[in-house]
Amino acid sequence: MAARNSSRLSNLCLLTRRRVLGQATTGAGSLALMNLLARDSRAQDDESADTWQPGSGRTHHVARAKRVLQIFCPGAASHMDLWEHKPALEKRNGQPLPGEENLVSFQGKNGNLMKSPWPFAAAGESGKRISTMLPHMAAHVDDIAFFHGMHSKTNTHGPGCVFMNSGHASEGFPSAGSWTSYALGSENENLPAYVAITDIRGEPPNGKANWTNGFLPARHQAIMMSNQQPIRNLQRPQQITDGTEIESRRLLQQFNTAYADTYPGESELRARVAAYELAGRMQLSAPDVADLSRESDVIHELYGTRDGNSLKAAYARNCLLARRLLQRDVRYVSLYCASRASGVDGLLNWDAHKSLKSDYERHCPIFDQPTAALLTDLKQSGLLNDTLVLWTTEFGRMPTHQAGTAGRDHNPDGFTCWMMGAGIKGCSHGATDEFGRRAEQNPTTVWDFYATVMHVLGFDHERLTWYHNGLDRRLTDVHGSVISEVLA
Amino acid sequence: MKHRLTLPGGWPALLASWITMASAVGGLPGNEEPDFAKVAAILEHHCVRCHNGGAAKGDFSLATAADLFASEFVVPGQPNDSHLIDVITPDGDQPPRMPQNADPVPAEAVSILRDWIAAGARWPEGRELFERSRADATFWSLQPITTTESLNASATTASEIIDQLIDERLAADGLTRNPPADRRTLIRRATYDLTGLPPTPAQTRTFLKDRSPEAWSRLIDRLLASHAYGERWGRHWLDVVRFGESRGFERNVIIHDIWPFRDYVIRALNEDRPFDQLIREHLAGDVLAADDPQSTIGTAFLVAGPYDDVGNQDAAAAAQIRANTLDEVIRATSEAFLGLTVGCARCHNHKFDPITQADYYSLYATFSGVRHGSVEWATTKARQQRTARLQPLQQDQSALEQQKRELLTAILQRGREHLQQHAEHWPRPPVDRRGTEERFSPVTARFVRLVCESQDTNANAATGFTIEEFEVWSAPASPDDDPQNVALASYGSIARGVARRIEDFAGAYGPQLTIDGSTGARFLAASTTLTIELPQPERIDRVLFSSARDEERPEHGLFRFVAEYRIEVSDDGQSWTKVADGSDRQPVNQGPHLDRRLRLLETTDAEQEQIAAIDRRLRQTRQQIAQIPGLPTAWIGRRVASDAAGPFHIFQGGNPQKLGKRIHPASLHVLNPLRQRRPGLTEADLTSGEFYELDAGVPEAERRLALANWIVHPANPLTRRVLANRIWHYHFGTGLVDTPSDFGFMGGRPSHPRLLDVLANQLQTSGWRIKALHRAIMLSETYQQASTFGQEAAKIDADARLLWRFPPRRLSAEEVRDTMLDVAGRLTREPDSGPGFRLYRFLQDNVSTYVPLDQHGPETYRRAVYHQNARSSVVDLMTEFDQPDCSFGTPRRAATTTPLQALTLLNHSFTLDMAGALARRLQAAHPQALTEQINLAFALCYGRPPTEPESESCATFVKSHDLVALCRVLLNTTELISVR
Repeated sequence: MAARNSSRLSNLCLLTRRRVLGQATTGAGSLALMNLLARDSRAQDDESADTWQPGSGRTHHVARAKRVLQIFCPGAASHMDLWEHKPALEKRNGQPLPGEENLVSFQGKNGNLMKSPWPFAAAGESGKRISTMLPHMAAHVDDIAFFHGMHSKTNTHGPGCVFMNSGHASEGFPSAGSWTSYALGSENENLPAYVAITDIRGEPPNGKANWTNGFLPARHQAIMMSNQQPIRNLQRPQQITDGTEIESRRLLQQFNTAYADTYPGESELRARVAAYELAGRMQLSAPDVADLSRESDVIHELYGTRDGNSLKAAYARNCLLARRLLQRDVRYVSLYCASRASGVDGLLNWDAHKSLKSDYERHCPIFDQPTAALLTDLKQSGLLNDTLVLWTTEFGRMPTHQAGTAGRDHNPDGFTCWMMGAGIKGCSHGATDEFGRRAEQNPTTVWDFYATVMHVLGFDHERLTWYHNGLDRRLTDVHGSVISEVLA
Repeated sequence: MKHRLTLPGGWPALLASWITMASAVGGLPGNEEPDFAKVAAILEHHCVRCHNGGAAKGDFSLATAADLFASEFVVPGQPNDSHLIDVITPDGDQPPRMPQNADPVPAEAVSILRDWIAAGARWPEGRELFERSRADATFWSLQPITTTESLNASATTASEIIDQLIDERLAADGLTRNPPADRRTLIRRATYDLTGLPPTPAQTRTFLKDRSPEAWSRLIDRLLASHAYGERWGRHWLDVVRFGESRGFERNVIIHDIWPFRDYVIRALNEDRPFDQLIREHLAGDVLAADDPQSTIGTAFLVAGPYDDVGNQDAAAAAQIRANTLDEVIRATSEAFLGLTVGCARCHNHKFDPITQADYYSLYATFSGVRHGSVEWATTKARQQRTARLQPLQQDQSALEQQKRELLTAILQRGREHLQQHAEHWPRPPVDRRGTEERFSPVTARFVRLVCESQDTNANAATGFTIEEFEVWSAPASPDDDPQNVALASYGSIARGVARRIEDFAGAYGPQLTIDGSTGARFLAASTTLTIELPQPERIDRVLFSSARDEERPEHGLFRFVAEYRIEVSDDGQSWTKVADGSDRQPVNQGPHLDRRLRLLETTDAEQEQIAAIDRRLRQTRQQIAQIPGLPTAWIGRRVASDAAGPFHIFQGGNPQKLGKRIHPASLHVLNPLRQRRPGLTEADLTSGEFYELDAGVPEAERRLALANWIVHPANPLTRRVLANRIWHYHFGTGLVDTPSDFGFMGGRPSHPRLLDVLANQLQTSGWRIKALHRAIMLSETYQQASTFGQEAAKIDADARLLWRFPPRRLSAEEVRDTMLDVAGRLTREPDSGPGFRLYRFLQDNVSTYVPLDQHGPETYRRAVYHQNARSSVVDLMTEFDQPDCSFGTPRRAATTTPLQALTLLNHSFTLDMAGALARRLQAAHPQALTEQINLAFALCYGRPPTEPESESCATFVKSHDLVALCRVLLNTTELISVR
């Protein structure tokens, strides 16, 4: 289909350039072939010799990051209990929230201000204060750019997660990983470009909509893979022996090649032959990347993969899997720590409505050591130089406790996300007000956040588009500015 | 049906008033001071895109006089003091500061603005400026459909006109059509096209033998008459209308009863129901025939999309969610029927198409009564019949319940009178969620259990309690011995008990949590008992259990605990001895739990028997009630008059908290001849139904009906063009307009504008019956030409948009699966209606999870159109082959080629199952005759015999492996999933 680019019709302004490009990529799956064809068509199409093409491996400007790790803590992980210290909450604990004494939020009425159950302590050379519930993460604060002034447009988990992942609060839009796959193409042809690692406790709110390709071609969707669940359909059926498999693949290739040869000019037919070759290579590579037994005891110890806490150990193994994927140049890894809002309590994810203290005393130990180990490992191995690490959650929590509980309700008006690696400067950008209620200094949108991510990846977020239902759609909708303060 | 239009007063007065109104609408040339018209044009072109009432960048707007003067951007009479002039004039070498990211305002325009300010900056009363959309009322798709007569075509049939127009266009680029395709290719093409299935070998043979000139048209008629036609083309339409069977968003709960809409679409297409009728039913089937389920089900269209049902106590957030829900309906409607992206006018006027925010919110008002959900789906008669059967039974039931209530009340009354003496036996404090202890004489036991008799938030339930830790303490053998908690898992003990289950997270609330030595995570009982098995018999004398030991608010419902219980021990886990209970504790409350105790203590044996007798009769009555079948339900949603009461306003910037001007239900202004000031308007024009403006008080049902009637009105240039183009799109893979749901500026332009109008007219003459259009298209030579590739032609038109060849295609996801089932002989054609099948496991724990199945059983061997497609789910084979997620309408599917397709087709057990079935089919047809088996396989899969070398390769392969392995290879071949 890439051959579409050569279409030259007199008088017929059928397709704008962007649509030609967009649909050129829907046809072929073999990326090598795809790139080859794209080059061919560029050569034929002199007008556009300098036009950037998605998936060609070229970027808009020099990229600092080659790949992205996005750690997602679903459930709205509380900014004022983890990352952003609020001394005023400690001082005014138990007093009404000034100006919002009768606040009604997502689940209803709110009580008075509630301090974090744990003290914050200064960490690193910068003395940045973070919760003492995250002792291992404290070692990394100097390298992290905290976005303390984040705010969202929804206070509901599902739309919030999808918004945080795709820049749109309704489902059906491509996730940031899919945009990255579309923009960059794959670097490792034997592995998928985009992998979503779900938590052992299940999928996050809105499930697979968080890593969907949306209206982008299907090959840009994330492949689900985790330590507890290998890639689907990777294993050959047991009934088929080695010998039969090899001969079957040979016969299939013979038939498919012959069919493609009968219809020269139809590149999709050749792409299908290539797709089977790629599938074969993926079958060899993927089990290897998932095999954690090749890691040293020191590494296992560092991550906590053998911890007595089975949830922590499971997340730790997924962290280690993430590093192995990044090491093999998977473009985008989404790593989830926790799952959905449970029908019972706050123990499946970070959604602490009722008993924040005991909930987070469960979640923080699961998250802290393995995540910190992953960052340490990336740093030591040098991968962090060109890997952008994101930590995200869908929104924040209220500085008050929820009426009748010792938990906090949803707060879309202020929360924290952070970035690290790929030349990101350690700093704190933006802040909520003294209680953590609203983004006050440098309020930052999800679109600003992703404009920055795309910038680090070498793309102008306004030029990374795909035509869909009346508009050239973007990851950043029609918004977003790059936050240059965090760039080195 | 007559178009209903609310017309207050006589028409001349109305005309006059509307013309006045129209002149207040932005963008109309005419009775405006010429100077201001120029000024307006400049501001609209350069400034208002960013600085407008909806999204005032930099916090000021240039849209109205008030905005402009308030910001002191313009000081009347003093251009030099007017900041506006400052920012758009270059400053020395520096470019002007405004507009940002756009070309500067030309010097000539700046001087017009200066002159206007110098002359006093007069701004016509009430005039508001809007950014001009890129397209205006003269845009191609908004023009009336040209009549076929005006084409002067010498061809007589529609098919001939198609060929003539295609050929003319090809000739303009020096191209010609391919010769006709061979007949094998044709029957495969037509059969897949109309039914989504391959022709059987017998059908192919028959067609090859039939040399009569009518063979082709007979084939088309046969295919159009088959049930499979509706299944194939119904699926296309379901794509367009974003039909899905789960609610989407966070909970994404499956919808059990929207399948009747799918059956309705399939049936309507098979019956060739006029499509205008179908559209009217989609929007207002409940208004057209409220008592006809076959009409009301059409309106399931309105609620077939995703919506957020989580609920929100924050009023502003709830209003936003409601607006999002209606937005989804507006988008789906305007894109499916009109090919317009009206949704783009939610926050501001459409930037590309002449659609205003008022147009958008007019639709908002039209759909404002729509609520999602399941409703009874039956005729009044059926309802009445059911009520008649139910009523006597329900009367019996309430009489019995009353009897029981009276009896229980009397018992309780007695108990209350004796409260004092009962309470004397309750010396101990009530149970404590933070820790409840029972001490007993030392006993040696291997098993210890807690049996719940009543839970502390529901006196009548004995399950659903939580336990975070359950400790069993050893009795010291000597004073030096320290007692220890022998229940701990680390000690070797095991906890058992039926817990609430979450399928995708084993042990989430399991009994193991009670002996893990930590609080905070709780066993959530789904039965009455928690049992601890010790590693060996132990001498014990104490248990301690809790549900909220370290919690700040132990009273929260989350920490439900036991209220009445007993502790039992056993040596063998079979026979149990009670060692303690809570009956001598005070009850947990003075309400239901006290009452429960008193009743237990007071009920006499005779009363007990009486109660049991009533309960028996109650059970019987309830069973009888249960045996009366419920009325069917369908996901049609409710239409709520109070939601539709209005008044309705524009939401500035799309924000429901920022109300703009009031609006009323009306058709799109750009197609309204009055608002467009079409010259020579007559009374007949005003009442023709070509447009409508409704009083804000008109009931919501009439708003929807007016919209529906306007959409299918013969004067509406969009609907038939859009529909005809969709049909062309599915026949040839690309529409004459290649963006089938976007006929606006950002969409494609028609490759053959006149042909599009011919097809649109054909729809009108055939009474909106689309089978006639299929025939016209498929009888054309253009459709029947070969797909042969041409190097030279491809240089000019690589995609064959001009149709110098028939564009080959890959099968859709549904076709791939149906084909595999069909060639394997396993496709079941019945049931061809009713609830769908699932290729996933549906799990629900507050939210839903869809887990793809590793094995597809025979119950899934139905056509894929009957699959219950859930949103945000991934289904093997279907997802890889580009079945879209149904969150949006999908006017055009992708056809990608990926390694994941290969992995699924090679390795999923479904392929192996089908390979096995195909192999058995071949063997059964030709036992022991390998060559014949291979011939049949090729006939089934490709509709052709194998070549000599192919046959030899297959035979060699089978001899060293087996037939199943060969079938697995064939099911993976490109030819199987290709149509040429």
